[in-house]
Amino acid sequence: MPRSDLEMTVGDMLRQHGISRRGFIKFCTAAASAMALPPSVGVAMAEQLIHARRPSVLYLSFQECTGCLESLTRSFAPTIENLIFNVISLDYDDTLMAAAGEAAESARMQAMQDNFGKYVLIVDGSVPTGAGGAYCTAGGRSAVETLREAAKGAAAIVCVGTCSAFGGIPFADPNPTEAWPVMAIVGDKPIINVSGCPPIPEVITGTLLQFVTTGKVPDLDEHRRPKVFFGNTIHDRCYRRPFYDQGKFAKSFDDEGARNGWCLYELGCKGPTTYNACATVKWNGGTSFPIESGHGCIGCSEPGFWDKGSFYAAQSTALWGKAGESSPREVLELSASAVAVGGVIGVASAGASRLRQHRSAQDADQRDSNGDN
Amino acid sequence: MSRLSEIPIRIEPPPAVGGVGGGVTAILSELITLLERLGDRQESAAIDLRSLPMSIDDLAGLRRELGEGEVRAILDAEGLSAIRETKVPGVWWVEHRDRHGELIAELIEVTRMPQILMTATEEIATGVRLLRAQLALHPVARAQ
Repeated sequence: MPRSDLEMTVGDMLRQHGISRRGFIKFCTAAASAMALPPSVGVAMAEQLIHARRPSVLYLSFQECTGCLESLTRSFAPTIENLIFNVISLDYDDTLMAAAGEAAESARMQAMQDNFGKYVLIVDGSVPTGAGGAYCTAGGRSAVETLREAAKGAAAIVCVGTCSAFGGIPFADPNPTEAWPVMAIVGDKPIINVSGCPPIPEVITGTLLQFVTTGKVPDLDEHRRPKVFFGNTIHDRCYRRPFYDQGKFAKSFDDEGARNGWCLYELGCKGPTTYNACATVKWNGGTSFPIESGHGCIGCSEPGFWDKGSFYAAQSTALWGKAGESSPREVLELSASAVAVGGVIGVASAGASRLRQHRSAQDADQRDSNGDN
Repeated sequence: MSRLSEIPIRIEPPPAVGGVGGGVTAILSELITLLERLGDRQESAAIDLRSLPMSIDDLAGLRRELGEGEVRAILDAEGLSAIRETKVPGVWWVEHRDRHGELIAELIEVTRMPQILMTATEEIATGVRLLRAQLALHPVARAQ
């Protein structure tokens, strides 16, 4: 009698799809590389996974732009099709699945019932709570209601993207929909945050693969992000770091320094305070990452990145609240209340001066756009 | 500006130490340690090149330094993989590509023979079964 989908191990699926041992070792070696694990782990991972059951995975999309799912479907190692067909059983994803309406919702309910306590719940998007949750509904139910229900039987929740992890853009000031991250709503389940706007595809698939391989939540940082991917700052692993150490900075996007590939810190790069794997895993199958393409890091995997001021203001400026929006007096008050040290006043004055320059530049831009002379 | 190609772009290579980037020097030094360990204690090891902050120039420099050895193997499983021994015996450069030809892993293995090339014990049993089944179809064997 053929084994049901629920009983099948990864090894069974591989045999069914005609994938060889060497092919699977290769898949696991690539996955280990994407997860920044030692290369020798690939073989051990292959041996362990072959005997593992494929977990049921439900993917819920709430207040989001689908950029995270677009990113996920472009994972090179492991590829999403390899993951879906061999390693996991993706039982619900309203964007990818062929079913719709009642059929889709009943597939979700069935999967939750069959795998209660064992399924992995992936959440994409923040959860709006304003107007009784009416800003995001599917099948007549609000996102917050669906989340609470689906979370009950989950073994773990993986929050894909900065919106579900930290609120993201919907959570940004003034947060008109009263959006919240998942961890503000679900408090009694293991939560793994895979932040980024969007996250690196291999970081999403790698996190899932690691959970499936070990059956455990990986080591997390203080923001509940897997340390294997979020353990270093972009700056720590940036190939332009030697120029930072030598004090060689691009001053504009088309100057001599920019052409020479110097450090983009003064152009607003948030690499020094952003934890992510962009500098090592990179994007588009390891082709490059934003800094390699000449643009600074915008810090999209950090909480509140949208409210930290201009992407193009040097970090020392941007950290003083919203550059160009706060008055120098507000900046001084902020700095005085944050750090009660006399010496900080000098720094705050410098920050205020930068803000004045920034505001003057903005005013000039505004006059230009209005056609004023 | 008439054409994009007319915009001058010049990438300054990272600071060099002894003709190669600092990252390359560090890897060559690490390889010496790993080779000594392989010789003394029979311990294999690998360096994942994608986990290191290396520029394209660094990578090309490392490839030049290690050169080409005598052995080249092509593995055809879920895409092609090139497995080459470098001019340094025991140091192998391994490139895994997927079915679309995209590079999915790039490693330097320090070993007598990369594990992925070796035949697994259970596969030997499969080989025996396969040959017996083939032989059973052979006219001479069927006659006996």
